[in-house]
Amino acid sequence: MTATSDARTPGTLPGSPLDGIRVTFPGVLRSEWIKLRSLRSTLWCLGLVVFISVGFSALVAGVYHVENVAAVPVESGRQLQVLAATVGVSFSQLVAAVLGVLVITGEYSTGMIRSTFSAVPGRLAAYFAKLIVLALVVFLVSAVSLALSALVATAIFSSRGLHTDLFSGQVLLPLLGGACYLAMISMLAFSTGAIVRSSAGGIATVLGVLLVLPVVLSLTASLTQAKWVDNMTQFLPSQAGAKLYAFQPTHEAQVPSGTVSLDVWQGLLVLAAWVVVPLVVGAVLVKRRDV
Amino acid sequence: MIEIEGLSKRYGTKLAVDDVSFTVRPGIVTGFLGPNGAGKSTTMRMIMGLDSPSAGRALVAGQPYARLRSPLHEVGALLEAKAVHTGRTAFNHLLALAATHGIPRSRVHEVIAMTGLESVASKRVGGFSLGMGQRLGIAAALLGDPHTLILDEPVNGLDPEGVRWVREFCRYLASQGRTVFISSHLMSEMSQTADHLIVLGRGRVLADAPIAQVISGATRRVVRVRTPRARALTAALTGPGVTITSFDDGALEVSGLEAAQVGDAAAAAGIALHELTPVDASLEEAYLELTRDDVEYHSEVTR
Repeated sequence: MTATSDARTPGTLPGSPLDGIRVTFPGVLRSEWIKLRSLRSTLWCLGLVVFISVGFSALVAGVYHVENVAAVPVESGRQLQVLAATVGVSFSQLVAAVLGVLVITGEYSTGMIRSTFSAVPGRLAAYFAKLIVLALVVFLVSAVSLALSALVATAIFSSRGLHTDLFSGQVLLPLLGGACYLAMISMLAFSTGAIVRSSAGGIATVLGVLLVLPVVLSLTASLTQAKWVDNMTQFLPSQAGAKLYAFQPTHEAQVPSGTVSLDVWQGLLVLAAWVVVPLVVGAVLVKRRDV
Repeated sequence: MIEIEGLSKRYGTKLAVDDVSFTVRPGIVTGFLGPNGAGKSTTMRMIMGLDSPSAGRALVAGQPYARLRSPLHEVGALLEAKAVHTGRTAFNHLLALAATHGIPRSRVHEVIAMTGLESVASKRVGGFSLGMGQRLGIAAALLGDPHTLILDEPVNGLDPEGVRWVREFCRYLASQGRTVFISSHLMSEMSQTADHLIVLGRGRVLADAPIAQVISGATRRVVRVRTPRARALTAALTGPGVTITSFDDGALEVSGLEAAQVGDAAAAAGIALHELTPVDASLEEAYLELTRDDVEYHSEVTR
């Protein structure tokens, strides 16, 4: 487009090369990607996810004592492989949670949110673009770090003569599940951050749900001997989500009657509810509140 | 063009903006003047759709801001606080905003050059001085080559050279036919920049007129007189609409009469005058006069 100087009535603006620009959702996605990659906190968090995952995998594979390598059944080998590769998830989830909270509360604490909502006055486009970029980035980085962890564990196991059958579905699916889990935890943290609008409050809330709530519930369960409290624990995001990256034996273990045990898909559904509910609440509040 | 109709904002029991209506026209610089806490920033945030009004509405180019399809091309805003993530570089901040509208990277370089930020563009905003932050805010406002500019206290923290730059730039943008709306709590600043003034006090519009009219309307013109026969002069001048104030040092201040009329009346009564000075209230006094009852926090000065 070129600026033309023809037949303009006096008092009207000169033509601008920017005439005709529009806010578009792909544009907002690109904007959020630029924002995410241009902060040091993002790079630190993602680097930490890789480091934790690979580090714990090497540690567990390295210290695991295997007697009589030849006698280990194939399925136990796979189980060991999954355990070693995913053991870091319970730690890297904390990093994913912190990143998820900071992505949104960082804008509120600095006032950036006013710039964001001035450029995208519909607000929800910015909210969902942020979420999508965050979830994709966390998923990809987690998938890569879990794959690296698995490779490192395989190398260590095979150096001791234990073949772990890395490329079987029984091993690969939990790895994929782990990446999904971390992405969903970052989404849950993001919505929490959008609701509370403070970094400290958001991080405390999410870590409370991920770390403190399971301890409180299982303490209560063991003190009161109440089975229903114990069953409730299964529906916490960390417990339900753990099914996503747990090893699935070919033959299900017997579950005592009256005890709830979720399978992978039920776990995914429960975790999805934990993601969707705060996400909707956050969207309504973001749209409504003054900034 | 900004149209404000019956706009109000209530925080709890306090009315920050109280049924405000005015129009900001293109082609001129409109100043938005008022003491701190008068509701200027709240009004501007409501125009930008950041705060929702308790009543009334604000339209930009005939539409509520949230409905604009190209908000950055329609309105460029610099809002009160630094609305920038401190961990990001100035360049990335502008690049991210530009991306939402598909504004090319070359325009980002352009506004950086226009605001003199080249040397700090790759530095993180957290380390910026107040003046640099202000320049970055202006750069962001200019990014979309907007038809309307809304600048909240734009010269805050700028050095004298920067202040002059903002002033001339605003006048230039208005001369191109853009709508320029600038807030300030300093009358002197406004008198050098604005063509039209909207004065706000305690959330209400106190004046909405061309700047000269606001000043003359609010100015109390007085004549200072000294005479050994103060009592006789007071008697000679007394009439409808004339007030005479006497001071401890013997001076009288006459309002409601021109200096010539005071002199003629004294001559007719045969009273000698030692001083006869017309005193124009300064702009600042005119403004204080206008907002005297509407300042939220009075500072008590003991004489």
